[in-house]
Amino acid sequence: MNSVIPVLDPASPQAESINNLFMQVLVISAIIFTIVSGLILVAIYRGRRKHTLPEQDFGSEKAEIAWMVGPVIIVIWLVAISAHLVITLNAYPPDTHDGNTNHSEIDLIVTGHQWWWEVEYPDSGVISANEIYIPVGKKLRVQISSADVIHSFWVAQLGQKIDAIPGRENYIWLEASKPGSYQGRCSEYCGAQHAWMNFKVYAVSQPEYEQWIASEKKDTSQPKLLTPLEAAGKQFFMQATCQQCHTVAGTTAKARIGPDLTHFARRKEIGAGVIENSPENLAVWLKDPQALKPGCKMPNFKLNDEHLKQLVAYLETLK
Amino acid sequence: MSSYFDLTSELWKWASPVWLLVLSLTLIFFIVQRGALSRRGLYFVVAMFALAMAYVSPIGVLSDGYLFSAHVIQHLLLLLIVPLFLLLSLSKSATEAIFSHPFMNRMGHVLAVPFLGWLSGLGVMWFWHIPSFCNASTESYSLGIFRDATFLLAGLVFWWPIFSPVKRFHLPSPLAMIYLFSACLGCTLLGIYITFTVISICPAFANPVDRLGIMHLLYDQGMTPALDQRLGGLLMWVPPCSLYVCAIMVVLRRWYSDMGQLTPQSTGATNALREARS
Amino acid sequence: MTTGSINQSELTSLDTPVTSTVMLDWVSTLDHKRIGIMYILTAVFYLAIGGFEALLMRIQLAYPNNTFLSPEMFNQLFTMHGTTMVFLVGMPVLTGFANYFVPLMIGARDVAFPRLNAFGFWMLFFGALLLHYSFLTGSAPNAGWFSYVPLSTKAYSSLQGVDYWIIGLLIMGIGSVSGAINIFATIICMRAPGMSLQRVPLFVWMMLMQVILIILALPALNSALSMLLLDRWLGSAFFDPTRGGSAVLWQHYFWIFGHPEVYILILPGFGMISEIIPVFSRKPIYGYTFVAGSSVAIVLLGYGVWAHHMFAVGLGMYADIFFAVGSLLIAIPTGIKVFNWTATLWGGELRFNTALHFAVGFLLQFVIGGLTGIMFAAVPIDWQLTDTYFVVAHFHYVLIGGLVFSLFAAAYYWFPKMTGRMLSERWGIFQFWLWVLGFNMTFMVQHFLGLMGMPRRVYTYADNPGWALLNGVASIGAIFMALGTLVFLWNIWISLRKGKIAGDNPWDAFTLEWATTSPPPPENFNTLPEIKSRRPVWDKNHPEFADWKTAQTPPDNGKRFNLPKLAAWAFIASEAVFFLLLLIAFVVFNTRHRGGEVTSSVLDAERTGIFSLFLISSSVTFWLAERFLQAGKRSMFIFYLGITILFGTIFLAGQVWEYAGLLSDNVTINTDLFSATFFTITGFHGIHVTAGVIALLIMLIMGVKGNLTSKKSHVFGAVGIYWHFVDIVWLAVFGIIYLGLLQ
Repeated sequence: MNSVIPVLDPASPQAESINNLFMQVLVISAIIFTIVSGLILVAIYRGRRKHTLPEQDFGSEKAEIAWMVGPVIIVIWLVAISAHLVITLNAYPPDTHDGNTNHSEIDLIVTGHQWWWEVEYPDSGVISANEIYIPVGKKLRVQISSADVIHSFWVAQLGQKIDAIPGRENYIWLEASKPGSYQGRCSEYCGAQHAWMNFKVYAVSQPEYEQWIASEKKDTSQPKLLTPLEAAGKQFFMQATCQQCHTVAGTTAKARIGPDLTHFARRKEIGAGVIENSPENLAVWLKDPQALKPGCKMPNFKLNDEHLKQLVAYLETLK
Repeated sequence: MSSYFDLTSELWKWASPVWLLVLSLTLIFFIVQRGALSRRGLYFVVAMFALAMAYVSPIGVLSDGYLFSAHVIQHLLLLLIVPLFLLLSLSKSATEAIFSHPFMNRMGHVLAVPFLGWLSGLGVMWFWHIPSFCNASTESYSLGIFRDATFLLAGLVFWWPIFSPVKRFHLPSPLAMIYLFSACLGCTLLGIYITFTVISICPAFANPVDRLGIMHLLYDQGMTPALDQRLGGLLMWVPPCSLYVCAIMVVLRRWYSDMGQLTPQSTGATNALREARS
Repeated sequence: MTTGSINQSELTSLDTPVTSTVMLDWVSTLDHKRIGIMYILTAVFYLAIGGFEALLMRIQLAYPNNTFLSPEMFNQLFTMHGTTMVFLVGMPVLTGFANYFVPLMIGARDVAFPRLNAFGFWMLFFGALLLHYSFLTGSAPNAGWFSYVPLSTKAYSSLQGVDYWIIGLLIMGIGSVSGAINIFATIICMRAPGMSLQRVPLFVWMMLMQVILIILALPALNSALSMLLLDRWLGSAFFDPTRGGSAVLWQHYFWIFGHPEVYILILPGFGMISEIIPVFSRKPIYGYTFVAGSSVAIVLLGYGVWAHHMFAVGLGMYADIFFAVGSLLIAIPTGIKVFNWTATLWGGELRFNTALHFAVGFLLQFVIGGLTGIMFAAVPIDWQLTDTYFVVAHFHYVLIGGLVFSLFAAAYYWFPKMTGRMLSERWGIFQFWLWVLGFNMTFMVQHFLGLMGMPRRVYTYADNPGWALLNGVASIGAIFMALGTLVFLWNIWISLRKGKIAGDNPWDAFTLEWATTSPPPPENFNTLPEIKSRRPVWDKNHPEFADWKTAQTPPDNGKRFNLPKLAAWAFIASEAVFFLLLLIAFVVFNTRHRGGEVTSSVLDAERTGIFSLFLISSSVTFWLAERFLQAGKRSMFIFYLGITILFGTIFLAGQVWEYAGLLSDNVTINTDLFSATFFTITGFHGIHVTAGVIALLIMLIMGVKGNLTSKKSHVFGAVGIYWHFVDIVWLAVFGIIYLGLLQ
C-alpha cells in the first residue's frame, strides 16, 4: 500500500532527515507568518478606526537593524543545518587521483528512457525495467543517467530526487528501512508521456532479495516446453518487429531500445505504470499501445486477434 | 570542512616571521595613536588578526602546498580583509595632513583613479592564478613573499577609492557601486573558471608534497585535489562577492545620507537645468 | 542640459483625434502614455489567452485519467501558458506601467527615446504574434517554458514549435532590452530639477533596478537561444551530449537569465506596493532608504543564485551549499521590505479601499510565497519538492499572489489618473474577494499535492487517494479567478462611462503624476511643483507638514548624464554579457575536450593577428577623428573617419578570407564543438563589426554633408563607445580562441 503523503511519510534514514529539516523550516515559517500577518491585521484593525492625520514617520535605522537580527539568525541556522545534511547525503564516489570515478562502488545503475526506466545490477548483471528490488536496511549507491533527454529519479518516501542527464552520471543513496513497495516517478518534464514514467521500489528482506536476483538470473536460454500457441507467439515475436527493440535473454531478441522482456510476466505493471500487468491488460496494451499511452515509442502494430493471442500467450511464459 | 581544524597542532605555525610585521605595525599604530582606543583601534586589531591568521593558523600552513582552497582563503585575507581594515583604521585628520602636501595630494588622486584600483585588485587575482605563476609562487619561498606583498599592496589600491580616509579621493557613489559590482563580476568569472575547469590551476596542489605527514588526514575526510580546486573556486567567488555587496550597501548608505552642502556651482547647475526645461 | 525630445506642436498634432485616423494615431504614436497603454492592453489580451490556457489545463486535471486534452496538446498548453505569462503578460504590463508613469513621476515631458520606445513595443507585438502563429502550424512549442535541452533539440522536438519559440523570444528580447535602455536613460537623464536620484519615488527606483536586470540578464537568454537555434538549424552540437555537447550548460544559461527574470517581474510589484501602502495609510513609506537599498541587494544577489533552480542536477555538494547560502541571503533584504511595508501600515490612518485590499492581499500571499521559497533554498528540501506541485504553488504565490495582486492594486490606484474616472469600489471589493478565494483555492491545495508526490507538468494522473479531490478543488478555484477577471473588465467598462470624475489628485497622493490633470495632457505638465523632498505633491498640499522641514534628503546637484552616451554604455553592457557567455561556452567546450577532435589547428593565428591589428588601429583613428570633430576640424575628422571605416572593412575582408579557407577545408559549424563555438563567436562579432561600419558610414555621410558638428560630437562619441567595445571584444576573442589562453 502506497503512502498517501509520501513526502511526509519517510521510509529511509535519508528521507527521515530531510523530513526533519522540512518540519523545522515549516515551523519557523509558520511562526514568521503568524507574526507578520498578526502585525498586519492589528495595523489594519487600528488603522481603520483612526480618523486623524497620523504622525509622518520616516522610519528608524535602529528599528530596521533590530528587525534584521531575527532573519539573520534564522538564515545562519538554516545554512548550517542544510549544509550539514547536504554533506551527509553526498553519494558521489570518491574520485581517484586521475579524476576517474571508481566504478566498483556502484550497486545499481538506473537509466532513464522516454518513458521508462532501465535498472541494471552491475554485480549480478541483472537487467530489469521500472521495478527496483532492494534489500531492506542496506544503503545502495545508485548511478543515475539517461539515454535520451533529462529525466528525474524520485522516490518520495526514500528521499532525494536527482536528475538523469544524458552524458553525465549522478549518484544517490537508496535505502529503505522497512519492507514495502515505494512509488517512484519521473520528476522532470521529458516529453509527451512524462506523466507515465513511474516505477516502483520493492524493499524486501535479504533472503528474498537474493532469491529475486537468482530468479532474474535464471537461465532462459533452455527452451521451455511451449504449447503450440505459445510457440507461435514466440515465432511471431522473433519474426515481427518486436525483437528490433526488445531483449529476451536466450533468444535472438537482443535490442535494448525498449525494456528488457526476459522476465516480463513477473512484472506488476505495464507501460511504466499505465496499467497492471495481467493477460487481459497485456492484450489491451498490445492491441494499441498508443491508446493507453499516446505518443509512446511503441507503435500500434494493428495486430490481428490471432497474433495478439499468440503473443500474449508467449509473453506470459516469460517468468 | 571540519577536516581543517580537527587536525593536530602541526597545523599551527606559531613561529612565523609574520609576527615581526604585525608587531612593528602595531607599535607604530599605537605610538601614532598615543594609546587611545577607539573604533579605529578595533579595525586595526581586526586587520592585524587577519594578517597573523593568514600565516599562523591552519590556513597558512595548509595553503603552503597542501590545499588550494586554503591558499585561496589566504589570498582573500591578504587582498581584501587586511587592507580594508587597515584603511578603516587610519585616522582621518592624520591622513588628511599627509595628503595635503601637493605631491601626496597628486599621488592620492592617482590612486583614486578607478581603473587603476580595479585592475590591480582583479589583476593580482588573475595573474597569480595563471597555472605556471601559481605553481612557481607556491614552490619558491621568496616568490611567495613577493606575491603576498603584491596582494597587500593591490588590496590597498583597490579599496582606496572606496574607503580612503580622505573623502575627496572617494569615487562618486554611483560609480563606486559600478566599480564594486564589476569587481564582483571579475571574481565570479575567475571563480567559475577555477570551479568548473578540468585543468589543474595550481599543479603544486594536485600532487602535494607531504612534508608534515598530514596528507592522509585530509584525504581520509574525503578531500581530493579535484574537490579542493572546486572548493577553492567557489571561495574565490562567493566570499569576495558577498564582501563587495556589503561594501555596496555601505556606499549606498553614504550616498543616501550625503546631504552635500549645495555649492553655488551645483545650484547654478540646477537652475540651468530648470531654465533649459522651461 | 537635455530637453524633451519632442516639441510641443508635434505632440499636439499627434493628439488631435480625427475619427478615421484614430487607429493610425495610435499605431504611429510616440507618446509614452499611449505606448504605455498599448503595452498594458497587449498584456491584458495575452492574460486572457494565458488564463484560457490555464483553464483548459485545469479542466484536464480536474479528475484522474481525463482525456479532455491529448498529452501533446497539454504539453503545448503549459509551455505556452508559462511563456505567455512571463514574456507577454508580466514583462509588458510592467513596461507599460513604467512607460506611463515613470516620466510622470520624475516630472519629465517624455521618455528619453520615444522612437526606440515605439520600436520596443512593436518588436514585442510582432514577436508575440509570431509565437502564437505556431498554433496555426499545428505544433505550438511544447518543451516547457524553460525548454531544457536535449528535449528541445531537433532530435526530440522535430516540429517547428521550438523554432517559433526561439525566434519569438529573440525578437521580444530585443524589444525588451531597447525598452529597458529607454527607461534607464529616462530615469538617469530626464528627472526634473530638484529630483535627485535619492528622491525618486520607490516605483521609479524599482523600475531602475528592474531595467538594469533586464539589460544585464536578457543577453544570457539570447546567447543560449542563439546556440539552440544553431543546433537546430545548422547542426552544431552545443547541446547534443552524444557529440560532446552539454545538457547542463543550457540550464546554467537559462537560469542566469531566468532567476533575475523572477526579480524583473516582482521588483516593479514591490515598487507599486511601496507607492500604494503609504498613500492609503496617509504616511510616508517607513525606511525609504532600506526599501531602496534592499532592492539593490536583491539585484546583486539575484545574479549569483541561478543554480538554486538546479539543485537536482547534481552539481556537487560544494556548489549546492554556496548557492544555498546566496539564496537564503536574499531572504534578508526581502524580509526588510516586508517589515517596512508593515511598519508603514502601522499607525496609519487607513483608507481601506480596493487598492489597499489588493496591497494587503499581496503582502500576506507574498509572505507565504517567500517562506516556501526559503524551503527551496534549503537544498535537501528542494531535492524532495522541486518539480512537484509544491513548486508550482510556490511560484504562483509569488507571481499571482504577489505580482498580479500588486498589479490590481496599481490598476485601482492609477486608473483615475489614466482615464480621469474612478473605478467602482463596490465591484472592486467583489473582485478582490473572488480573487482571494479562487487564488487560494487553486494554489494552496497544490502545496499538498506536491507533498503527495504529484510531479508538475503531468497531463494526467492515476486515481491516487486524495489527488482527485485536491485537483478538483484547484480546478474550481480557477473558475473564481476567471470570474474575478470578468468582474474587473466589467468594472473598467462601466467606470469608463459612468465612473465618478476623479480630478487631479483623488487620493491626496504624494508623487508628481498627481500634480497634473487626469488624464495628463500630451506634454504631461503645465507647471511642476518645487521638488524639495520625496513627496513634492504632499509638500504642496500640506505645507504645514512638508517633508523637507523634518526629513532632509540629498539635494539634486543638477547634473545629468549625456543621453546618447548613456544609452551606448547600457547597450554595450548588455552586449558584453552576451559575448561573455559565448566565450564561456567556448572555454567550457574546448578545455573539456582537450586532445579530442579539435579543429583549432586549422586556424592561422598570425594572419588573423595582422588583420586584428587593423581593427585595433581603427580604435586609435576613431579616437583621433573624435578629437578633430570636437576641435571643429572637419576635413581631418572626415579623413580619420574614412581611415577607420577602411580599417574596419579590411578586418572584415580578412574574416571573409578566413571563413572561405575554412569552408573549403570542410570545416563548418557542425564539424565539432570547436568549430561550432568558433563560428558562433566570430560570426556574431563580425555582424557587430559590420553594424559598426554601417553606423560609421552614416556618420561619414552626415560629416560630409556638414550635419555632424562639434556640438553633436556626443552622438559620434556614442557610436565610438560601441566601436571601441567591438574592438575590445575582439581582443578577448583573439586571446582566448586564437592564442588559446585559459586552455
